[in-house]
Amino acid sequence: MNWDYFFVQFANGAVIGVIYAMIAVGVTLIFSILKIVNFAHGDLYMLGGYCAYYVIELLGFPPLAAMFVSMVALFVLAIMLERLMLTPLYSDTTERKDEYGLIVTFGLAYFLRNIAVIAFGPFPLKPPSFIPGVLRIDNLILTNDRLVAAGVGIALMAGLLYFMRRTIWGQALDAVSQSRDSASIVGINPRRFNSFAFGIGAALAAAAGALVAPIFSLAPDMGVLPNIHAYVIVILGGMGSVTGSIIAGVMLGEAENLFTAYFPDPTRAFAYSNAFGLVILMLFLVFRPQGLFGRRHLRME
Amino acid sequence: MSGVRQLPAYILGAAAVLALVFADQLNSYWMHVAIIAMYYGILASSWSLLAGSVGLFSLSHMAFAAIGAYTSALLIKWFGIPIPLGMVAGVVMCCVVGGLIGWVCLRMSGPYLAIFTLGFSEIVRITIATEDDVTAGMAGLHTDPLIAGAATRLPYFYTAFALLALSLLVMGLLVRSRWGLFLRAIREDEQAAAASGVAVARFRILAFAIASGFAGLAGGFYAHYIPIITPSMGDLNEMAKLVVMTVIGGMERLPTAVGGAIVVEFLLEELRDYGQWRLPLFGIILLLTMRFARNGLLTPIWLRFVRLGEAPGGAPPGIGEEKGSEA
Amino acid sequence: MSAAGELVRGSGLTKRYGGIVANDGVDFAVAEGDLIGLIGPNGSGKTTLIHMLTGHLEPDGGEVAVRGRRVTGRAPHIYAAMGVARTFQLTQLFGRMTVLENLLVPGLTRPHSTREEVTRRARGYLAFLNLSHVEHLDAKNLSGGQQKLLELGRCLMLEPAVLFLDEPFAGVHPRLRDELILRIQELHKEGRTFVVVDHDMESILRLSRRLVVMARGAKIADGPPETVRTDQAVLAAYAGL
Repeated sequence: MNWDYFFVQFANGAVIGVIYAMIAVGVTLIFSILKIVNFAHGDLYMLGGYCAYYVIELLGFPPLAAMFVSMVALFVLAIMLERLMLTPLYSDTTERKDEYGLIVTFGLAYFLRNIAVIAFGPFPLKPPSFIPGVLRIDNLILTNDRLVAAGVGIALMAGLLYFMRRTIWGQALDAVSQSRDSASIVGINPRRFNSFAFGIGAALAAAAGALVAPIFSLAPDMGVLPNIHAYVIVILGGMGSVTGSIIAGVMLGEAENLFTAYFPDPTRAFAYSNAFGLVILMLFLVFRPQGLFGRRHLRME
Repeated sequence: MSGVRQLPAYILGAAAVLALVFADQLNSYWMHVAIIAMYYGILASSWSLLAGSVGLFSLSHMAFAAIGAYTSALLIKWFGIPIPLGMVAGVVMCCVVGGLIGWVCLRMSGPYLAIFTLGFSEIVRITIATEDDVTAGMAGLHTDPLIAGAATRLPYFYTAFALLALSLLVMGLLVRSRWGLFLRAIREDEQAAAASGVAVARFRILAFAIASGFAGLAGGFYAHYIPIITPSMGDLNEMAKLVVMTVIGGMERLPTAVGGAIVVEFLLEELRDYGQWRLPLFGIILLLTMRFARNGLLTPIWLRFVRLGEAPGGAPPGIGEEKGSEA
Repeated sequence: MSAAGELVRGSGLTKRYGGIVANDGVDFAVAEGDLIGLIGPNGSGKTTLIHMLTGHLEPDGGEVAVRGRRVTGRAPHIYAAMGVARTFQLTQLFGRMTVLENLLVPGLTRPHSTREEVTRRARGYLAFLNLSHVEHLDAKNLSGGQQKLLELGRCLMLEPAVLFLDEPFAGVHPRLRDELILRIQELHKEGRTFVVVDHDMESILRLSRRLVVMARGAKIADGPPETVRTDQAVLAAYAGL
């Protein structure tokens, strides 16, 4: 058993897991508070990555600052989109709200992806590293960027969890996401609250995109696979459970990476690692739709 | 009085005859566009049956087209069976797998169903792409033409037309029958439908099987019209395109779904000069449609068309439209 | 063993939700010709019992039999086909289908039914319920009271032997409520059996020949209204809210 290989793969899997978790947390927040599945989430992640890239290239910001700028930018963009497209969800005259949410976010994803191809060009772009170089421990080599990605990702999610425990809005986020109580019970304007939740989800996705960009490059369709993985994670961890998404996200990242690393047929390994996650997803949807940590009957209206 | 009542039907019939008679005036390029439009027409109408009428928002419809295509192509390649038989086998395969998916999804609602079918669609695509020693993967599988030695595309035009007409006929009969009522009742309120004696589980499975079968039919035709098929024919981009087409037209009715497919396909070709901008443009149209005209852009036109020839003051409805239903 | 003329029998029905026991070993028999009022404080398990007796919920314990045949665990449409009809606490209709179509659906589920015959029957019931003038409206556009009547019509189209009405008088205008009571009494005279759940004591007492009281998941009284009303256990249950 080649332990060096294992540790490197394990570390990489953890990094990917943290990134997945960041994306999935956004999806789960949006689902539990706005009651829709955001099919465009992967594209918000993509836009976050590109935004950071252009902030670095055009404004000369350092990468970490660019990430924060990108988070703010996507937060604002998300709120704008929510105001424009999602307000019918709050009106009583709108029928079949979950279908509306599905189609609108689906359409949004379609639009964003194709606009990105035009705006940014189809060829991969790579922003400069957060911290160039690699870390060596004995025979292990880990790129610094991956460490930064994991570290910042963990910090952001820890920040979110702290926020959800200590501030009023954060506690409301926590409460509404778990128990479907109306935000107005807590004394908060529900519309603003929903916009806020959508914005937070987008900001996290943007951060993930910015962190990942120097490692894997940017491409207009980079959000497609992470989007799907986000659903796997959200179902696995339980819709509406932020901690569930974090744990499941890391687990899935780990599992996929190790699957790819150890699958006997290397030419098929990567393709089937995605399918592997999907099979898990489908099994959970059939046998345990509340996931590992979710609450039963968290259904849409 | 009854002659006037059937006016919309006569108009459609006349239009169909004209289309067939003058088809050979189209040049090869536009005939191809027309054929592809009819391909999407079958897919859009069958998807609207599933997602619009019954309310099962499946994202695996294009994957079934791929299953139909590959089943037919591979069976023909391995066993040398005649092409129509291969296509039928593709349809049967899709009915069975579709029914299975419908059964597995019985307890799933809206977004869960969407995610599940999305997962299934990706698994199908990944498997076809990866097992390339069987399917030729992304390089493409060469297929036999449906009409050997055809000089022009015209015979394919007639075939596509016939298949589309057949599909609409069968699905139309279904929608207007009592089973159509049951399916709509399931969409409106599953519990009330069950309390009214509707065997909900059976109909959900049936709806999936039938819709998927038609997708397989379209896929089978496609496989033997286009000389090479790839797994991308069933990928999420195609599914997104189908959703865009069907929703813009109107996802709750067969005619508006087909209309949406044909109009969007023609526009996509017509606007080729605008290159990549066509796609986000249709994304915007979709968003605007959902926001301001959720029933679809063609629905008001269709509803008015169907009332043609009615005596003012409200004579009994014409083709399959009950007054007051689903405005 | 079922008594003659027994339409629906629930024996030892139990249902748990997490830690809560919604129904605890409830026995409930509906005989042909009964007009039963099912009452009890909120949360006593009445609706859960109805769900189990009409197939909408599978009991964790106990059995349900319709006309002596065991149907526990089968799908709700089987119950409907066997003549067990029900309305819902919050009116559940096919909103975007017309009033007539709402009645056609249950009518057409019956075997050997033709469209003409079902439409005729539907129109007959619409007249009975005073809804003929709104035949072509979408069900969602009806007033609350009209919707309740339509739901009753939906039950009737099944030509049911027994109708379970879940809070038919809730939020209903007094004049409409009287109309409803009259209709139920008319239908009962024609031979239909009713089980009515409601909190409107006045209406229940006007209607019922037999009163069943539930509290905290158990049946605590079952008998003629005069007896039940003075039953100590019943009074205690309502007083101890």
